[in-house]
Amino acid sequence: MPEIILKNVTKRFGKFTAVDKLDLTIKDGDFVTLLGPSGCGKTTTLRMIAGLESPTEGEILIDGKTVFSSISGVDISPDKRDVGFLFQNYALWPHMTVEQNISFGLENLKWDKARIRSRVSELLTMLKIDQFGKRYPSELSGGQQQRVAIARTLATGPKVLFMDEPLSNLDAKLRTEMRAELKRLHAETHSTFVYVTHDQLEAMTLSTRTCLMKAGVLQQYAPPLEVYHSPSNLFVADFVGSPTMNFIEGLGKNVNLDEIKIAVDGLDLIFTPVSGSITLRDDQEIVLGIRPEYIRIGDGGKAKATVYSTLPSGMETIVKIQAGGQALTSVVFGAIDYLVDAKVNFDIIGDACIIFDKETGMNLALGQLAVV
Amino acid sequence: MTIGNQIKSFARKPHNVILAVLAVALTFLTLFPLLSLARDTFIVHPSEIMTVKGSQAGDLTAFHWKKVFFDGETSMNLFYRPFWNTVQVSLWSCLVSIVLGGSVAWLVARSDLRWKSFISVVFIFPYIMPSWTLAMAWLNFFRNRLIGGAPGLFTALTGIATPNWFAYGFFPIVMVQGLHYAPFAYILIGGILRNMDANLEEAAVILKAGRLKILSRITLPIIMPAVLSTFLLVFSSCMSAFAVPAFLGTPVRFQVLTTQLYRTLNGLNPGYGYIMALVMIVLGVAILAVNQAIIGKRKSYTTVTGKSSNLSQARLKGLRTPVSLFLIVLVSLVAILPLITFAVESFIMAPGDYSFKNLTLAFWIGPGSADIGSGEPGILLNKYIYLGLWNSIRLSVVVAFIAGTIGALAGYAVVRTRGTRLSALVNNLAFFPYLMPSMAFGAIYLSMFAKRNLFIPSLYGSFALLVLVGVVKYLPFASRAGTNAMLQLSNEIEEAGLILGIPWWKRMTRIIFPIQKASFLSGYLLPFISCMRELALFVLLIVPANRVLTTMLFQYNEKGWTQYANAINLLIVLIVLLFNTAINKATGASIDKGIGG
Repeated sequence: MPEIILKNVTKRFGKFTAVDKLDLTIKDGDFVTLLGPSGCGKTTTLRMIAGLESPTEGEILIDGKTVFSSISGVDISPDKRDVGFLFQNYALWPHMTVEQNISFGLENLKWDKARIRSRVSELLTMLKIDQFGKRYPSELSGGQQQRVAIARTLATGPKVLFMDEPLSNLDAKLRTEMRAELKRLHAETHSTFVYVTHDQLEAMTLSTRTCLMKAGVLQQYAPPLEVYHSPSNLFVADFVGSPTMNFIEGLGKNVNLDEIKIAVDGLDLIFTPVSGSITLRDDQEIVLGIRPEYIRIGDGGKAKATVYSTLPSGMETIVKIQAGGQALTSVVFGAIDYLVDAKVNFDIIGDACIIFDKETGMNLALGQLAVV
Repeated sequence: MTIGNQIKSFARKPHNVILAVLAVALTFLTLFPLLSLARDTFIVHPSEIMTVKGSQAGDLTAFHWKKVFFDGETSMNLFYRPFWNTVQVSLWSCLVSIVLGGSVAWLVARSDLRWKSFISVVFIFPYIMPSWTLAMAWLNFFRNRLIGGAPGLFTALTGIATPNWFAYGFFPIVMVQGLHYAPFAYILIGGILRNMDANLEEAAVILKAGRLKILSRITLPIIMPAVLSTFLLVFSSCMSAFAVPAFLGTPVRFQVLTTQLYRTLNGLNPGYGYIMALVMIVLGVAILAVNQAIIGKRKSYTTVTGKSSNLSQARLKGLRTPVSLFLIVLVSLVAILPLITFAVESFIMAPGDYSFKNLTLAFWIGPGSADIGSGEPGILLNKYIYLGLWNSIRLSVVVAFIAGTIGALAGYAVVRTRGTRLSALVNNLAFFPYLMPSMAFGAIYLSMFAKRNLFIPSLYGSFALLVLVGVVKYLPFASRAGTNAMLQLSNEIEEAGLILGIPWWKRMTRIIFPIQKASFLSGYLLPFISCMRELALFVLLIVPANRVLTTMLFQYNEKGWTQYANAINLLIVLIVLLFNTAINKATGASIDKGIGG
């Protein structure tokens, strides 16, 4: 069963390093997303695994077989890697009908006509595009083209499926719909999916593991919820989650046993780690990370704030508040509408607030925060 | 609204006024001449009184039509044979240019060819240079003793006499036109290859298609519309080409429609010529109509977008250096060697003798002696050459200025009123001259303005007539440039100025023009360069007082004064290349950007 291993893979375009010493293991049956801002090397990584791009250095193994190695000079061409690839812009051949597009790969496998026909109609039905078989791609809507592209990729039954931002050209509604379809497809085909996206929500909702990259360097490779709750550094914390995490800069020092006092402009806070004890230098510069859902607005809260603006969206409400010199974001379940400049009280709850080192950006500890 | 108010509100918008004026003027300058031409095919012209028995000038007659189409051997020689020659020459030229241009386009866009930038720049040269450049170079190299002169460089160097079929007529015309229009194919097909989404081919690779299969099933079908477009454009250009067949075909009496047109209009039977002009126009319109239909239908092919930055390049492996070297040699032969032969030919005293002691500066700065060229002085001392040069530049500047400005205004008005019937009419009228072969267009204006017409006095032999014909003929380039420039510009840019109360004139000169400077300027450049190197359009309309360089070149060549002709040709080529490069450096516009109509 296919397992994909990348060892020390580096890709340079001239002087620019697109991917830097990447080590990654993608297990059989995983749905891995390569996530990151544009230009972070995620598409390059995918294209290298598929064989559309050759790494400058390193080694890639698929299913125990070396498909690329800069040392032994192995570079197996993409058609011999037994993979499927779904392109961002679908790459449907404009001069072929939907059926011809889907059957092209099967013809290359020298299937006989009858078998091709039944496979094509099976796929058309599976992706609910039966009625479009004779049409040309330009006569289809974006969503329909997307389905044709998926059908074409699935036709040959690849065990590994690569997808390069396949949903980014669809409108919001269709995108949500297709996300659900892709997740089902993953379960039904028992294949390994590697999926490139810059949309953290897609990564969160779809994948079994998320590989977050920045400027060619791997930041964190973990299940999405772990990435969400315990981001390895400030970049990851900032990139994942919407609305984004609150960051508060301050000075921390150890007081008592296992308690850290944090001095922030206008607020005094006590941090109790839950992930083991930590030691700070006196007055070490730190950054506090608090997810919006951990800031609870309510009458019982100890801290006082002023409402800056309220953004109700029906199911939930985003409230921007001003506490001391800090602008904070809170998410409240349900619809509430505060007046601008209303006075409110708030608390910090949960045990997954984070202390980052300001200098290195690294995650130092998770814990509870209390307002003094 | 009353009709009066409707007119007032219509006239308050500058683009409406421009549109209305252009509609009237262009109808008069393009459609009306066509009718006049058609009428000329049915009347007896003054020089034909002797041939059409018992008739008077101006009488109605079907004589010309009968002679051209239904008079056995006469029609054969007059029309059918030249027509068939035209078709054959054009078809083969297309083949040469598409195979050559397409291959080079693929190599440059899709392979790891060496020295790409040099090859791609120099490969375009033949198109920037006048079309007869290669024809003259061919003669310099391969001419034989047939036409009485001395043999060319090739025979001088090798001692091998070139056979007639190789030196003159069908074969060299095809080769020369094929090479001249290969850049057409290179630019059109290369454009598609560069913009074609690499994912389309990668998707096929992933699905285990072989290299040949990808080429035949994916790449070729996708570039096919561009190939077809190239085919039609090269075909119509070859069909209307005059200079090349005149230089290479005339020595062996190989006639095509354009040379036949020139002979008949300059001879005693203009009526025949007008019919041929009409035939060429009909063919031109038909070809462009087919082209438009194809482009319109397959539009979606060329607009495929995607991450084309990561084009996979085919590795030529062992062939890389040989192929690259071959192309370097080829482009040098085609683009640079001709210039050297012009220089060489212009420096030798007795044609055909390439020894050192035969070198002379007489044809450049000699005072002129009675035994060479009827005592013409060297071209740098010849006041008629300077007059011709002055006329050429004056004409090109005036034509470029008027055509460019009208084109920009037309583009503005057409885009602003897009969707209306008037807008479509003006757009088509402004493009119509493109369909007409230059020689036929010259013939039309000759027929229409040789005598007093409506309120316009006879313009025959005047500078104004040359300007007029140049402006109308090159308006398509300028209006295309203007339309493209305006299409890229959103309405809101101008409306923002309108809201602030900026008058129309200022909006044009301070907002719209500066933003799309390069596009608009190419609307001035294209007419300028085209005019500098134009022969077919002017050759019928020129009188000695307003000769331009190109027509002088043609006359010197006809008289067999090859040294003068080569010297003048070198002058023209250098001027054209110089201006094109200078303007390209300054504005980014270039003659080869105007390909494809």
